[in-house]
Amino acid sequence: MKDRLLPYWLLIPAFVIVLATTIYPLAYSFVTSFREWDLTKQRRPGGFVGVDNYLHAASESGFQNSLWVTTIFVVTSVALTLVIAMSLALLLRRKGRMHTFTRIILILPFAMSPALIGVSYRFMFNPEFGVLAKGIGAVFPSLEGTPWLADPDLAMAILVLTDVWHWAPYMTFMCLGGLASIPRETEEAARVDGASNLRIVFGIILPQMKGVLLVTAVLKTIFALKMFDQVVTLTGGGPGVSTETLAFFVFNVGFKWYDMGYASALAWILTAIMMVISIWYVRMLLSERKMATA
Amino acid sequence: MAEIRLVDIEKKYGNFLAVPKQSLTIVDGEFLVLLGPSGCGKTTTMRMIAGLEDITSGDILIGGDRVNDKPPKDRDIAMVFQNYGLYPHMTVRQNIEYPLKLRGMAKADRAARVQETAEKVELDALLDRRPSELSGGQRQRVALARAIVRKPRIFLMDEPLSNLDAKLRVTMRAELKHLHHELGVTTVYVTHDQMEAMTLASRVAVMREGRIVQLDTPKRIYSEPADLFVAGFIGSPSMNLIEGAIRGGVFTAQGVSLPVTVSDRDDVVLGVRPEDLEIIQRDEAPIQGRLYALELTGDSTLVTLRTGKASVCARGPADFEAEINAPCHFAPKPGVRIHLFDRTSGQRIDGDAAQGTAA
Ligand SMILES: Nc1ncnc2c1ncn2[C@@H]1O[C@H](COP(=O)(O)OP(=O)(O)O)[C@@H](O)[C@H]1O
Ligand SMILES: [Mg+2]
Repeated sequence: MKDRLLPYWLLIPAFVIVLATTIYPLAYSFVTSFREWDLTKQRRPGGFVGVDNYLHAASESGFQNSLWVTTIFVVTSVALTLVIAMSLALLLRRKGRMHTFTRIILILPFAMSPALIGVSYRFMFNPEFGVLAKGIGAVFPSLEGTPWLADPDLAMAILVLTDVWHWAPYMTFMCLGGLASIPRETEEAARVDGASNLRIVFGIILPQMKGVLLVTAVLKTIFALKMFDQVVTLTGGGPGVSTETLAFFVFNVGFKWYDMGYASALAWILTAIMMVISIWYVRMLLSERKMATA
Repeated sequence: MAEIRLVDIEKKYGNFLAVPKQSLTIVDGEFLVLLGPSGCGKTTTMRMIAGLEDITSGDILIGGDRVNDKPPKDRDIAMVFQNYGLYPHMTVRQNIEYPLKLRGMAKADRAARVQETAEKVELDALLDRRPSELSGGQRQRVALARAIVRKPRIFLMDEPLSNLDAKLRVTMRAELKHLHHELGVTTVYVTHDQMEAMTLASRVAVMREGRIVQLDTPKRIYSEPADLFVAGFIGSPSMNLIEGAIRGGVFTAQGVSLPVTVSDRDDVVLGVRPEDLEIIQRDEAPIQGRLYALELTGDSTLVTLRTGKASVCARGPADFEAEINAPCHFAPKPGVRIHLFDRTSGQRIDGDAAQGTAA
């Protein structure tokens, strides 16, 4: 064997594993999205139907509802997470015993499994015995007995809240990393030049955090687009269809109604949305880089 | 313009005493350099003046007002940082304009002032670039422009030239000196480079472990160092320091015997600068040994001889040549200064320093 070929031989096992575990299922679902496949009737994918599955999505109210729910969810949860994470990072970046302690306990929400978070919050918002429901009722008596998860808007708000609670700590750490890389001198120069604290944050720190915030926003957007676990365990998509996110809807189509062709098409629509966002983000980041180092 | 007075100021970081209690007055319009090795508390002292660091005890007065509790922006200072601290997301113009904008100057006035300042430091062609598109020297000038644009009462500069290459450093040094002459603003300048200190300062404060060990004009720091630390720190190559004793009016060490006007004592260190020594060919020279090294520096040759444990360096003519290990003789040039220090305390002995003998 020639030495020149050895590296390729060595790569083959990894290549085969990647092929088998990701490329194959991806390709399979892509092909399936152009076929008819009702799991209740057929054991194998049926005939090709062209883009029918995609056309069906365009006119179906369940899908349109899930798109709308997802949009609301993504926008509010990304915005809230970023604002909270950035604010926490600004508060926690100084050194000190309390700061270190707070940073450590901040890891806890992120360490919890999303499914568990959903179940816990479901209990905590139970109007009969939930800790949070009772607590809120004690502070605001008019809210006593509110059926939190039975109201479409409130259920959505709680879904967003749990997601922010889960992700904000992690994003705080990303922001802390970004803050640490800003030269302290730019901030001190601004202080000497006469800037107030607020101006330093908005005029000096945030502009330098642009790259980090962009990465954080895109990661959070992609995670939010895939929101599934907490929907299952917290709201079950309800009340009605008011919290049926796209990922949850795809799951229902596939594994409740057994329409595999349509489910595959929907999954690919979700993938396309994420790809567009990722590409847009890479371009933004590249132009940002170019500005910083040109 | 204003006088700065530090009265009994002290700075502790937890239990670590960075700057011990001391006082310092910087007179109106002066160029004061804080000089000392890295970690001796120069930056800390400057940051206390700027208000970027709380002082543990003592008072800081600027122009007669106690400013201890005033934030940096109310002290009417401008600062140039070691790494410049330019705002990377702003153009050169916006960087220079920022202090004016923060102080609410009208837009038209700002533009005129930025233009005028940029011309002064020769940046007018680069106003629309970003800091990342500039060379080190240009960034340095932006930092300088941002400091002078507001016409503050005090300039604080923390090692502003240390990130530049040697050649640019010399050019910028001259520009700084000219700028100070032109503006006449009280300036505190931090450096660990004794050459910068000597060339720029009206007065130099030599610091060691947080303490000011000598505060004097560059000339006197050079000609009359207060102790062994200053003697060794100032001058390049540094002063020869030889341990010995004084016996019968003569400083004696192995291979060295120099008449001095100090009464007999033990534990003395004699100091003599390389440029104050000359190479002679007589056998009964005051400093005798064997040639150890020759270093040509261009305009002169550094000649090092070894005697016993000590080595002594003299600045000789550029064309000096000799064999290594050949016998070698130095003598102080006529009328130059010989310095004597107490070996244990390090303090200078005899302010009225002894004269070297004519060779
Ligand atoms: N924020 C800080 N916390 C603790 N120690 C510090 C801090 N800043 C400086 N020091 C210590 O104070 C001493 C003086 O530092 P500095 O003023 O920066 O020295 P220089 O500028 O002369 O190099 C150093 O020993 C340094 O380690
Ligand atoms: Mg320093």
